[in-house]
Order: sequence, then structure tokens, then C-alpha cells
Amino acid sequence: MSTQTIPMPIAANSPASPAAPSDTTPPLKPVSLAAMLPGIVLLFSIGILGKILQHVLPVHLEYVLWAIILGLIVANSIGVARIFRPGIATYELWLKLGIVLVGARFLLQDVLHIGGLSLLLVAVELILSLSVMTLLGRIFKLPPKLTSLLAIGSSICGVTAIMAAQGAIEPDEEDTSTAIAAILTLGAIALFTFPAVGHMLHMSQQAYGMWAGLAVDNTAESVVTGALYGQDAGKWTVLAKTARSSFIGFVVLGYAVYWASQGKAAHVANKPLFLWQKFPKFILGFLAISVLATAGFFTKGQLGSLSSLSQWAFLPAFAGVGLRTNLKDLVGQGWRPLAVGVLGEIFIAIVTLGLVFWSYNHGVSR
Amino acid sequence: MATPNTPRTEQPHSSHRLPINVDLFAVGIGLMLAVLIRFGVIHQISF
Repeated sequence: MSTQTIPMPIAANSPASPAAPSDTTPPLKPVSLAAMLPGIVLLFSIGILGKILQHVLPVHLEYVLWAIILGLIVANSIGVARIFRPGIATYELWLKLGIVLVGARFLLQDVLHIGGLSLLLVAVELILSLSVMTLLGRIFKLPPKLTSLLAIGSSICGVTAIMAAQGAIEPDEEDTSTAIAAILTLGAIALFTFPAVGHMLHMSQQAYGMWAGLAVDNTAESVVTGALYGQDAGKWTVLAKTARSSFIGFVVLGYAVYWASQGKAAHVANKPLFLWQKFPKFILGFLAISVLATAGFFTKGQLGSLSSLSQWAFLPAFAGVGLRTNLKDLVGQGWRPLAVGVLGEIFIAIVTLGLVFWSYNHGVSR
Repeated sequence: MATPNTPRTEQPHSSHRLPINVDLFAVGIGLMLAVLIRFGVIHQISF
């Protein structure tokens, strides 16, 4: 395990890479387990309260939605006290632990078949979304590096991809903050629009899950958007999303090479090392558990326990999505980046929806 | 677009870091839990 400390938002990456945060990034404080405890307790408390409300209130809303709503209410009314913030930062750890454990619900042949299909669909989505976001950025006269960040964030995995690109293409700190705010805003919008569209189109759990994984940018919001439609949909969202995230190194490397050729970023000396450092390692854990499940390492009951554990791990992650969403900040980012993001995301959502329907209608998916 | 001096989005987690590689830590915990369940150290878990 790496002995270096890393900020949570760029958890997929090693800071030793050429794309490590630039010197303009404010110094981050290492935190101890004791400092994280209050926030972790808050995450689980909100998640468990969401589960309780699902059962006791006459209004039937899934615990996933309750956890987000409660988090949103806390964050945007009384606010998140400083003592809770280190622990809330662990939401990404819980999210990735949940993704690793959900591997128990996949047989390897499903991963290879649907994951392979996802890779194909992701490749198409990547080319189209990068092109459209770049075009929209030019039309709306955004700074070129902000356009690059929005394109990277919307095509791969949101904030993680933007943070991974930050050191590689050396944008202004302002551009990074704006791109992150835009991506988070779009993720918050997706939480409420995607399930509605899915129900309107009577999408199956698998088709909807694939769509949410392909179209929603930020990993946390993507997993939540899938889970809001159903537990099975959430499972397929994780698979499509991990396939999409695996492209992060290639896209960031492409942009790093481009901006270096323009003399506006440092050259990447060791490209294979760069790709490895950018690769989201939690995908390997997901695959390992899936391989063990396929090989019969677990009994049926044990697979059920692993599946339950993944849901317990997702619970604080869902609460964290609500707690870290500051509605006031989201609307205060300026209209042009948001307009580019909204138009681009609508395009991506329609294209990926079409791709998913096409793959089902042609029997590529089951 | 906001001016450079405008207070930016402050995520609750933005000024903190964990002394670990989160990806590898998640993989390590996940595999450890899987092994504990496999060998009966952790019994049935429901959600």
C-alpha cells in the first residue's frame, strides 16, 4: 500500500505521478482516525435513519433517496460542522468498498459479456462526448482548459477524472473549481431526472442500470442514480461505471500530451507508469471478488452476506452524496460552464440511451 | 463565470486527506471481509 497521503477526491491516483496536484493546490491536512470518527458516525446515522424512514413513513421512498435528502437538508440548513468534515471525506472509501464487494453478485461471464459490451459503448460515448463538449466550450467561449476539464469530467468519471487531470494539464485553480461545481450540479440533477425517465420508458433494471453507469458522470452520483431505480439496476450501474472509469488514464494522458505539445503543461516522461498510476485500482478488487464468486469460493449464503455488506458500505456513501452537495455553491458558478455542461449531458444521456436500446434490440445485451 | 476572488465551492472533504491510498485500502478491506465470511469468522449478514 502506498505510504503517501492523498486527498480523497483523487483517491484513484497516486500523488507520485506527473499529474500530481500542482503547487497552486493548497496544502492538505493529514487526518487521524479519531478525527474521522464523528463524520463517519454522522454518515452511518443518516443512512440508517433513511432506512428507518423508508419503513415507518406512509410515503414510500427508498432509503437511498432518504439518505440523500437528509444529507442535503443537513448540509444546506445547519451546515456541516468542521468536526464532521474529515469523516465525511471517507464517503469515497465506503463507495469503493461497496463496489469491490458487489463483485460477489457477478459471475465472471457476466462481467466479461456485459463489461465487454460496456467497454464498446463507453468507447463510442467517449468519442462523442469529448467532441461535443469541446465544440460547446468553443461556442460558449469558455477558457480552453476549463473546456478540457469539463470534457474529461463528463466523459469519464466526474470529479475523480477532473482531479486526475488537474496536475496533468495545469489549469487555473478557478477552472478546476468551476468544472467540479458544474459536474456536481449535473450529478444532482441526474439523481432526480434519470429514475423518472427510466420509469417513463419502462426500462428494465439491467438496461436502466447500464444507462445510468454510462451517462452519469461522478461515480457516487452514478451509483446512487442506479440504486434509486432498484437494487438490481444499481448492480448493473456499478459494472458499466467501472468499465467507463477504466478509461481515465488514456483520456487524461491524451489531454496531457496535447497541452504539453502546446507548451502549456509539463511533458509526461513515462507513459505506461502514468497509465498505471491513473488506473482506478478498486476495479481490481471488484474483479477479484467476482472471480472468487465464479470459482465457487463462496456458498450461496456467503454470497448473500457479501451482497448485504456491499449495501451497508453504500449506505454512508449515499449519505455523503447529500452532505457534500451545497446547493448555494452549485447555483453560484456562472451560467456558461453550467450551460455547456447541461447541453453536453443532455446529448450524452440521449446518445447512451440510444446505445443501450440499440444493444438490447439487437440482442447484444440480455 | 465567477471571478477569481469569489469564494469557491467548498466540499466538506476538500481540505482533508487520509493517510492511505483509498483504492488499495478499499480492496484490502473488501478481500479481508470476503475471507472472513468464507471461513466462517463473520456469520450471516443481512441488510
